[in-house]
Amino acid sequence: MNQSLPLGQHRPGLLNRVRQFYALTKPRVVSLIVFCAVIGMLLAVPAGVALPLVPLFAATVGIALVAGAAAAINCLVEQKIDAVMARTRGRPLPLGEVNSIETLVFASIVGGIGLWLLNNWVNPLTMWLTLATFVGYAVIYTVILKPATPQNIVIGGASGAMPPVLGWSAMTDSVTPDALLLFLIIFAWTPPHFWALALYRTEEYAKAGLPMLPVTHGEKFTRLQVLLYTIIMVASTLLPFVYRMSGWIYLVSAVLLGAVFMYYAVRIFVSYSDKLARTTFRYSILYLSLLFAALLVDHYLA
Amino acid sequence: MFRKLVFAATVLTFIVVVVGAFVRLSDAGLGCPDWPLCYGKLTPLHAADEISRAEAEQPGGPVTMAKAWKEMFHRYIAKLLGLLIIVIAVLAWMKRRELGQSPWLATVLLGAVCLQGAFGAWTVTMMLMPLIVTGHLLGGMTVLSLLTWLSAQQLSWPVFVPGAAAAWLPRAALLALAVLAGQIALGGWVSTNYAAMGCPDLPLCQGQLVPPMDFTHGFQLLRDLGKKADGELLTLEALTAIHWAHRAGAIVVFLFLGWFGSKLLKLDALRALGVALLVLLCIQVGIGLAIVALQLPLHLAAAHNAGAALLLMALVVINFRVFSATRVVHSGPA
Repeated sequence: MNQSLPLGQHRPGLLNRVRQFYALTKPRVVSLIVFCAVIGMLLAVPAGVALPLVPLFAATVGIALVAGAAAAINCLVEQKIDAVMARTRGRPLPLGEVNSIETLVFASIVGGIGLWLLNNWVNPLTMWLTLATFVGYAVIYTVILKPATPQNIVIGGASGAMPPVLGWSAMTDSVTPDALLLFLIIFAWTPPHFWALALYRTEEYAKAGLPMLPVTHGEKFTRLQVLLYTIIMVASTLLPFVYRMSGWIYLVSAVLLGAVFMYYAVRIFVSYSDKLARTTFRYSILYLSLLFAALLVDHYLA
Repeated sequence: MFRKLVFAATVLTFIVVVVGAFVRLSDAGLGCPDWPLCYGKLTPLHAADEISRAEAEQPGGPVTMAKAWKEMFHRYIAKLLGLLIIVIAVLAWMKRRELGQSPWLATVLLGAVCLQGAFGAWTVTMMLMPLIVTGHLLGGMTVLSLLTWLSAQQLSWPVFVPGAAAAWLPRAALLALAVLAGQIALGGWVSTNYAAMGCPDLPLCQGQLVPPMDFTHGFQLLRDLGKKADGELLTLEALTAIHWAHRAGAIVVFLFLGWFGSKLLKLDALRALGVALLVLLCIQVGIGLAIVALQLPLHLAAAHNAGAALLLMALVVINFRVFSATRVVHSGPA
């Protein structure tokens, strides 16, 4: 359907096609999702107890496949927006290298295999939670919330916060308060993480017609929200210790990592610059990885 | 305030519909045999004596404590929804100038929810007569559709000018809605007649493309559950006819909505909704196939109802977009 685009002139070979479809699954985002899910799995099994390897492997692959399908659907919905924004212009759909129907079929097959794996080799609860997360992200967030309200990433953050819960339920066939604490941490982390990005990309979001908070409510209000959500986030990272799910190693790490995040958030509020927002955004990713690593270290050493 | 109430009511309606399907599928519809209270009491807890007596008299019967709670939970949230809709209708009239919207949609909504309450009561008092239970399902879907439309009115949408090439759009959108509504009615008929296993195999039915079927009795509307109008037991052929019709309907829906959705992908303003429609369609057909393959597990059947509700919501929003564009009433982003 998009044959006439200048960048699509070389006839794609098989290897190139595979590479395009692979790119549709947003491998970098998916690997972060899988990382969080695997940590959820490891935390769910008490240290010293042998890990059930088959469900662990099946859940990892299954969650990765469904997440990849969700990413492909997201690419499909946003090809117009992606074409406008510099960061996403090079994705396969805006370039016309794969078409919409191919993407849908691809997502159905990949997602279907993922759900089948989860249902048959892990447990139905995990399959349903993963399907609900998929619908929450690919339909409710991408189609409804994102173009409609500046609260999009706050509500949609629920989908992003699900991976550790999915990992947890894969191992225990249940959703316990421990798993919900991990959910809460990522849920509270999403707004400062995302709004730091939105602050230095406000113009691009405005151009794409997306009602991100800095576009609708201004930069100053967004900076305040970043600070407030960071406080909530730091407070919720203390809960695993309070709940006796983690020990001192985790508490010290959470406090130190959180102090750095708070420092950035306060500076964003009082003396904003685009450079600072960029640093904060990068730090927020590092922060989450290290925080979860700390949970893991604490789980095995303490 | 009005906006938020409408959104909240829409989400709550979705929950009430799915919980209602769960009550129906777990055979808890007669968990409390009277209406509106449970053995004349406010909660099953207060009616514990009556419930344990009924359970002792008829072990494995329709009344247990768990079933009574399921049924009453559905009634509580449905009543909460009724209250919300009354408030919405009152606000729609009182604030009709500020809102700049006709209050009639909210009024129709109030009428629909009242009728739906009555259907809920009849479901219980008329002993799960299939026509009434199916009507209760369709009533729920109607309330959901009206609220989805009202919600869509509260949002600001980018301008959508379909252009001359899309003259087919309004007719196709309406037809899609009609096809889906027909399939939901058939699905409700399958469920309320316990016909989900009428064809136990896939892709054929009882090993045949067209098995022996009895449409006359299967689609006789006025009769009791599991019986023909004259009180004789309903035959397998009648159940097969009901199931087979829903399967044939699924093929029509899949092809038509699939075609419609893929056409929407080419219109920038409707692409996202088209993707949503196609994704939900794939999930819904997948769940439907899995129900037969896995012999009707409860969670799949409940999910099939949730999928139908989501598909309906997507199509209602698509219709809203199509019809507000052609009439150019809600133009311009806020």
